[in-house]
Amino acid sequence: MSEVLLNDEPESAQAMALGTAELAARTERLEPLYDAAVKTLFWGFRLGAALLALGIVAALVKREPLGREADPIADVIAMVRAGHASGIIDLAILWFMLTPVATVIVVAANFWRLGDRRYALLSLIVLAILGVSVTLALNR
Amino acid sequence: MDIVYSLEIGAVAAVAAILGSMLGLGGGVFLVPILTLFFGIDPKFAVGASAVVVVTNSVVGSTNHLRIRFTNPRLAMLLQIATAAGAIAGALYGVLADPRVIYIVFGAVLVYAAVSMVVRSERQVTAPPPGAPDSLQLGAAFRDPAIKEDVGYIPINVGWGMGVGVGAGVISGMLGVGGGVVMVPVMNLLMRVPVKAAVGTSTFMVGMTSVATAFVFYSRGFIDPTLVVPAIIGVFLGGQIGSRLTRRIKAQRLALLFALILLYLGLSLLLRAFGVEMPGQA
Repeated sequence: MSEVLLNDEPESAQAMALGTAELAARTERLEPLYDAAVKTLFWGFRLGAALLALGIVAALVKREPLGREADPIADVIAMVRAGHASGIIDLAILWFMLTPVATVIVVAANFWRLGDRRYALLSLIVLAILGVSVTLALNR
Repeated sequence: MDIVYSLEIGAVAAVAAILGSMLGLGGGVFLVPILTLFFGIDPKFAVGASAVVVVTNSVVGSTNHLRIRFTNPRLAMLLQIATAAGAIAGALYGVLADPRVIYIVFGAVLVYAAVSMVVRSERQVTAPPPGAPDSLQLGAAFRDPAIKEDVGYIPINVGWGMGVGVGAGVISGMLGVGGGVVMVPVMNLLMRVPVKAAVGTSTFMVGMTSVATAFVFYSRGFIDPTLVVPAIIGVFLGGQIGSRLTRRIKAQRLALLFALILLYLGLSLLLRAFGVEMPGQA
């Protein structure tokens, strides 16, 4: 991201262009954060989709009907270990749901690493709020 | 697995995603009314399914927006505090609420969306106010491929944005929609964030907002895998088709048709709240 300033530009236009250049540089400084967030979302979706496909194939092969209600989180791992297709599908759904939570952790860690303590803290507040929701699901 | 039922839900979800993608509203806006009105599905299960679908859609969509730097992570995290808190409050109310309340609120949102679609006026905001204060370090820039230039901006009215964000979160939590319907215009018109950055930031936020909703609905047993699985697949495929169609067809040309569909669904939900069923509905 770069731009060339022309000498004959009006002063106000140069001020605006300078502002944009600084903002572009500021955004570029977050490159490690962007890359880490993209990787988390990319692999989160891929692994979730793989789990979902595995669960669907298992349900079709075993002719196993799916429940009308996702199992409590505490039971999902046991269901997967027992080889139940419904457990694998529940795990896939939870995996998809946890991917944005993992992204918030990655974003917070990268803000901290880049020395932006304020936004690291704000990201942790977001994480804490999402944690309330996750805790409700864990206590079902 | 009931293959026929799954295919039906998948097809309906795909149609919802095509419509939502062409209008930039997301699939949930159409998915919940169609599932409740035409399949007779309990609105709470429809909302739960929609919330999970919105999460997966956001995961896919955010990847692209982050790559091209349309997403502003600082702005997203700041506003997310308000929308996530609102979403939990909305979802906690939604899981306990009388279904008629959900019908009324959803119906009102759809009627509002239909009317605003017809009278919509798009305002392009592309430059930061010169010398604008940026004490929160929220200013950012992205390369706009359409004009091949860097576009810088500094969000303003942040407090108002967060205030409206709470409301957007409550609606999102109650109805299982992403909240982008509210947050994109708020960021663009109120906070002076360029449309592309507003959409990129909103897409990223919507996933986190819907996660808050989805886990609350999960905690009350309103996540039905027989509904969620085909809906995820249908919305994913429909979203791909919708984005391709959007490039070929000017969605604005179909605005009136889309507005009529929204109006029909909205009025149907409002009537359903008072026990009136339109012909052909379940």
